[in-house]
This record gives sequence, C-alpha cells and structure tokens, in this order.
Amino acid sequence: MRGEVAIVGYGETPVSRARVDKGEQRLTAEEYYAWAMELTLNNCGLTKQDFDGQGLGVIGAIWPHSEIWSAEIVQNLGISPKLLLRADHGGASAAALLLQSAFAIHSGLVDIVLCLGADAPMSVQNGSGLRTWRYELDHLIPYGMMGPNSMIAFVMQRHMFQYGTKREQFGKISVAQRYNAGLNPNAYLRNPITIDDYLKSRPISDPILLLDAVISVNGGLGFVVASAKKAKQLTEKPVYLLGFGEKHNYSHGSIYQPDVTVTGVTQAARDAFKMAKAKQEEISFFQPYDDYTAIVLMQFEDAGFCKKGDGGKFVENNDLTLKGDLPTNTGGGQLSAGQPGMAGGFVHVVEAVRQLKDEAGGRQVKGAEFGFVTGLGGLTFGGNLVNSFALILSSEVPK
Amino acid sequence: MTAPILAYEKPIPEITDLTKPFWEAAKRNELVLQNCKTCRKYQWYPRYSCINCGSRNFEWKKVSGRGTVYSYTIIRQVVANSPAFQKDIPFVVALVDLEEGVRMYSNIVGCKPEEVHIGMSVEVAFAQVTNEVSLPKFKPTASKG
Ligand SMILES: [Zn+2]
Repeated sequence: MRGEVAIVGYGETPVSRARVDKGEQRLTAEEYYAWAMELTLNNCGLTKQDFDGQGLGVIGAIWPHSEIWSAEIVQNLGISPKLLLRADHGGASAAALLLQSAFAIHSGLVDIVLCLGADAPMSVQNGSGLRTWRYELDHLIPYGMMGPNSMIAFVMQRHMFQYGTKREQFGKISVAQRYNAGLNPNAYLRNPITIDDYLKSRPISDPILLLDAVISVNGGLGFVVASAKKAKQLTEKPVYLLGFGEKHNYSHGSIYQPDVTVTGVTQAARDAFKMAKAKQEEISFFQPYDDYTAIVLMQFEDAGFCKKGDGGKFVENNDLTLKGDLPTNTGGGQLSAGQPGMAGGFVHVVEAVRQLKDEAGGRQVKGAEFGFVTGLGGLTFGGNLVNSFALILSSEVPK
Repeated sequence: MTAPILAYEKPIPEITDLTKPFWEAAKRNELVLQNCKTCRKYQWYPRYSCINCGSRNFEWKKVSGRGTVYSYTIIRQVVANSPAFQKDIPFVVALVDLEEGVRMYSNIVGCKPEEVHIGMSVEVAFAQVTNEVSLPKFKPTASKG
C-alpha cells in the first residue's frame, strides 16, 4: 500500500475558547462540522456531491447527543456516502480515519473519502459531568484522580526517576512549540514564553505544570483521502501515505505492571518506517501527538530518533523550532494551537499535509519531503496511552 | 460499631454484582483480588474475563496488602472531579504495585505528601467513607522494630 493513497487537501476552522466576553465565537460541534466541510471542499476544489456514493469519515465528540453520532452528522451535512466511517480513538481518531479510508480505497470499495473532525468542548454547558470508563469511575475517581493530568503525571514522574530527565527538558518542548505557534495565525496561544515562564506556571498535578498540558479549544478540521491516481487528477501536490503502523493496548513488559515510560509508538513507528523504506534522519519534520510534553519527549525515543531514556538529552541538544533540524509540531501543536476535543489529532495530520504541499507560509519547512506524524488516544489503566498510530507522509513516492 | 458516616461528598464507586465481593471484603478491612481459577493469575481492576487466558472462572482471594509505590502525583488543582477534593489539596494519588503482581490506584496516607517516593514500601489501610464503602488506601509500612 506504500504510496497507493494520498491526501488531496485539507481545511481548518479558526479555533475558539468560546469566551463570548472576549469576543470569541461560541459554536456547537455540529456547526464546526459544517464549517470544516466547507473549508475542506473549497481547498480541494470538490463539492459535497462528489462524496455521494463515496466515503465519509467522522469522529466521536466529547458530548454527542447520542452514541449514534455519525447518523446525525451525515444527515446534517446532506451527504449520501457508500461508506460511513466513525473513528473512536480519542486523540488518534484522525490517524485512525486516515487509515480506515486508505484500507477502503485499497479494497476498491471507494475512490475518495472526506474525513472530518470537529468538537466543541468549550461550548458544553453543565451536564458535561463525569462520563468516562466504568473502571475510572469506580477505581480512580474516588481517590481524587484528576483525569489525564494525573495519569500522565505518573508517566512523567517515572521518566524523571528512571532516566534522570529534568523539568527543563520537558519545558523546552513547551517553549519550542510556542515559538512555532507564533508563526501560525490560527494558534490560540501565540505569545512567546521562556523556560522561566514554564517553570513558574501553575502546578496542576506534580510534576505536571500548566504549560506541560494542552489547551482545550473548539474547532473543526478535515482532509480528503483518495487513490494516488485520483489525487493526482485533483491536485498538483498530493501528499502520499508512504508508511503507517498502529498498535492498541500496548503494555511494555508485564500486562499487569507495565513500564509506563514506553508507548505503543515503538511498534507503530517501527512498522511505519519499514513500510515507507525511510529512515529517521530523512524526516523533514515531526508532528507528534502532544497532549503533554512528556508524551512528546517519550516519542522521540519510541520512534527511534534517540535511545530509550535519552529523550531529555535529545530535546536539550536539538532545536525543535522551525529553525532546527527536526522542527516539531510546526504549527504549535495542541500545546499552543489548541486541542479541539476529540478532533485534536487532526491538528497533526493537517499541519503535516500543509507543510508537504508547501503551503505553510511563514512557518514553511523548506524542502519538506517526509513528514512523520503520530496519533495517540485513550489512557490505559496503570499505563500510558491505548491507541498508537504512526504515519509517514511524503510529497513524492521514492523508489 | 462505627457510627454512620453522613454527608460524604466525594464520588464513591458503584457496587455491582462484579465488584460486590471486593467491597464486602473491604468493609471487613480485607483486601481481595480476582484470581483466575484456570491460570491462577491475579488481576486488578475487576473484569468479566481473565486478561491472561480469557477464562471467566474466578475466585476472590485475600492478598497481603503489601506493595511499593510505582509512581505518584501530588494533586494541586481539582480538574474533572468533585470540588470536595479541594479541601484535601495537596494530597497524593499513587500507582501501587502489590506483591501479588497487580497495580492499583490509591491514596498514600499517614505521611506528608513530600515524603512519598518511588519504591516506598506501603501497606493497605482501609478508610471507611460510607456505610457501604471502605476505600483501600495505603500507608508507609510500619518500620520493623
Ligand atoms: Zn486466566
């Protein structure tokens, strides 16, 4: 399947924290779906009728009105597809939709799929309550666990303990991504920060500080996946899916007492690089899933950019900004651009496509050829993340 | 007899057919775990099948209640949980690795938050929070004298 499917184009709405008092928009997830569709279709020169009898992919939302959510969205959008996909992989949903689309195109069932992700966590009023996994309600929440902040705090604490990783090394990721966000007009947080700002940011759940964590926003994004042949007819610059890998419910070591410092990206990235016939040193930029700085740091290790445990040193010795050798989260990532709820993983895919199409303006990575993207979703009991995806996207398909 | 505990404001687990034996034992200050009758592995949290062999045959077995702190966090801010935790801040939630080979989320009590460390030996200490629920928490292992 190497290079058999490609991404034609993309769309991304402005983001918002729904602060009406600050003049921000307060929209629903359904409205962001409509807006993301419009932008994506315009970018690709397509109409929604082009997807009747083809494919549509949507994702879950933080607060859908019904568990049967794709049925509402497909009707709202007025598309009559042959294939309706819904990804249910949290932050990995965009990568999951991309691969599901690729498999469907590879099978010959459809030739083109519109993938949309939108969410409005900041517009949810009341009633959002605690809605999570049974085991979290029964065996975590009663102890005062504070969701992902505390779960990733365990991971970060353990990484510091096992490998001597320093706070400043995690902080450098936050600072570098904010620098990149400064060149992204659609990033929610664009003011530059220093390592001192990071260290002085509010403690949330030790060792997690405010600037270790994502900022939640409303927004909608989309991309169109097609067979390479179809993609070439639609755009001068298709972005090829050169390699991929996925792994779910990975435990490093014991399934009962796993080493939380290793993610399923180890498996997914290995498969992706093998399929792409690419090497880490050929990668032009990296869009790692970034719910927390610790998760970014661990992925340098797990994806083979450095040895396990050397992530701290790697971050310290490399410039992760657009000026460096491995620009990382070139638009600021979720840490600075914002995490649009369940659509968060679209941020990484869309930014990679934009870069490979040479359309990133002031933050363009010159001569970008190979982009490495990850998508991570869900949190495991006593471990780290449930869903791990690795994607290698490229502007050409090398021999 | 312990007097009824009124107005416990924090979230409590829902006691189901699956978890009832665990919470019944907890009321007696006993820590029990699901033990697979086919492969004899312990597991936590309670499930309907064994994550090692897939068997649905379990018994609940009393365990030592001893373990070590695998990792921990000091909670500084209430996010996505009951505001009733506000008055406990700062407090510790830890991943405790039990001698029987499973990992539990719990609080570390009986010492200051800053005294908690990875590798610390702990033992179970039940905290009765309602008439139905005693939460297994962990405290530093009493020093051998
Ligand atoms: Zn078994």
